[in-house]
This record gives sequence, structure tokens and C-alpha cells, in this order.
Amino acid sequence: MTTQTSIEPVHRSVTVDRSVEDAFRVFTEELGNWWPVETHSIAKDAVETVVMEGQVGGRLYERTTGGEEHGWGRMLVWEPPRRVAFEWHITGVPTEVEVRFTPAGQGTRVDLEHRGFERVENGAERRDSYSSGWVTVLGRYAAAAA
Amino acid sequence: MAALADPTRRAVFERLRGGPRPVGEIARDLPVSRPAVSQHLRVLKDAGLVTERRDGTRRLYRVDPNGVAAIRDYFDEFWNEALAAFKAAAESEGRET
Repeated sequence: MTTQTSIEPVHRSVTVDRSVEDAFRVFTEELGNWWPVETHSIAKDAVETVVMEGQVGGRLYERTTGGEEHGWGRMLVWEPPRRVAFEWHITGVPTEVEVRFTPAGQGTRVDLEHRGFERVENGAERRDSYSSGWVTVLGRYAAAAA
Repeated sequence: MAALADPTRRAVFERLRGGPRPVGEIARDLPVSRPAVSQHLRVLKDAGLVTERRDGTRRLYRVDPNGVAAIRDYFDEFWNEALAAFKAAAESEGRET
């Protein structure tokens, strides 16, 4: 392997007017209540809920009203109420998302990093099994950019 | 935009992510013919994910950083929207208590 294209991770932050514990709970346990599934999911309007299983190795997935489950990722870190990280399979090549919860004044600062866009090689076999893959991502990008 | 829907094409793309490679080298460790790999590369090129340049007598293919940057830009906006929804939910929930 020679040159490795380095790609800056995505960094996004938001401060919420809630305790660290509340912010963590809403983000993880109550993901299904706020995640914008109409636009940010595989089955869109057919999505009933989004589930993040609270343990390392747990699944992150959407469930449709018909009971189908579409995997989004797998939990890599589960450290309530300060940090979670998960593999993000929607990219086809699994990337990684890490979310940190830090007290900030009366509220909580939530820092999200999505990294691994330059990731390579060894995941080929695993990622071939992901049906959603890059298609979904590129399709949405195209739609968003249109 | 369905450029990466095909598993073989995705495998071709993956093999380029470690650096520029000629067709023969890409085809070598894939269970498909060289012409098939060339065809996949053409689709990837048309989709803006791969670029091609001449190196003497051979052509080298590499991942187009602009195409990959587009994916990252997409996720910038993706997480902006997701976090905005999270903030709204977190701050409205349980406000009455």
C-alpha cells in the first residue's frame, strides 16, 4: 500500500439544555423519537422506530411498520452517560461515529465525530453483505445536492 | 448514482482506496475477468468516484478525492439535521416537569 487518501472526519456539535444523563438517554434510548427517519433512513416513511442496543456489540437498526429490520451499525463503545461509538454501515465501507456528552454550563455539549472515510481493504467481505451501502448514501447526497 | 450498488464494483473501488493501481493489478485478486474490471472502472469513473491517468504505457486508476469528499460533505449536512432534531427533542421532552 502506498499513498492513503486522508479524509477529514465530520465534526458536529450541539449544546442542549439538559443534564448529561438526560442528553445521553434521549440520544440513545429515545433515538426512535427524534431521528429524522423521513429523510435519514433506508425505509423512510415505513420506519416505525430506530433502536440502539445499549451494549458493546449491540445493534443499531431501524424497524419498519412491517417488522423488517435494516441494520445501520454496531456498537463499539458504550459508556453511559459520557460516550458512545458505533460502526456506521450505511457508508458501505463501515465508518465510525463517536458521540461524547460533556457538561457545559447548565446543559450538555454533544460532540459527534464521524470518521474513517478513508478506510480500506480488509472490510471488503463484510461490507459486501450490506445491502444499503453507498447507494443509499450517494442517492441521498444526489437528492440533497440537486 | 447506483455506481456502488454492485458488490464486484464495490470490491474494485475498495482496491483503489489504498492508492493508484493499474487494471491488471486490480483484476488479479478478484474473481472476474480483466475486461469486466475495466467495465466496472468505467462506471466508477462516470460516477465521479475514480479518476484515470496515463503512466507510460499503462493506465492508473485512483479514487477521486472530490467524489469521496462529496460523501463527507453529505454527512456534514446529515449530522447537522440529525443533531438539530436531537436538540429539539431533548429540550422539549419533560419540560413540564
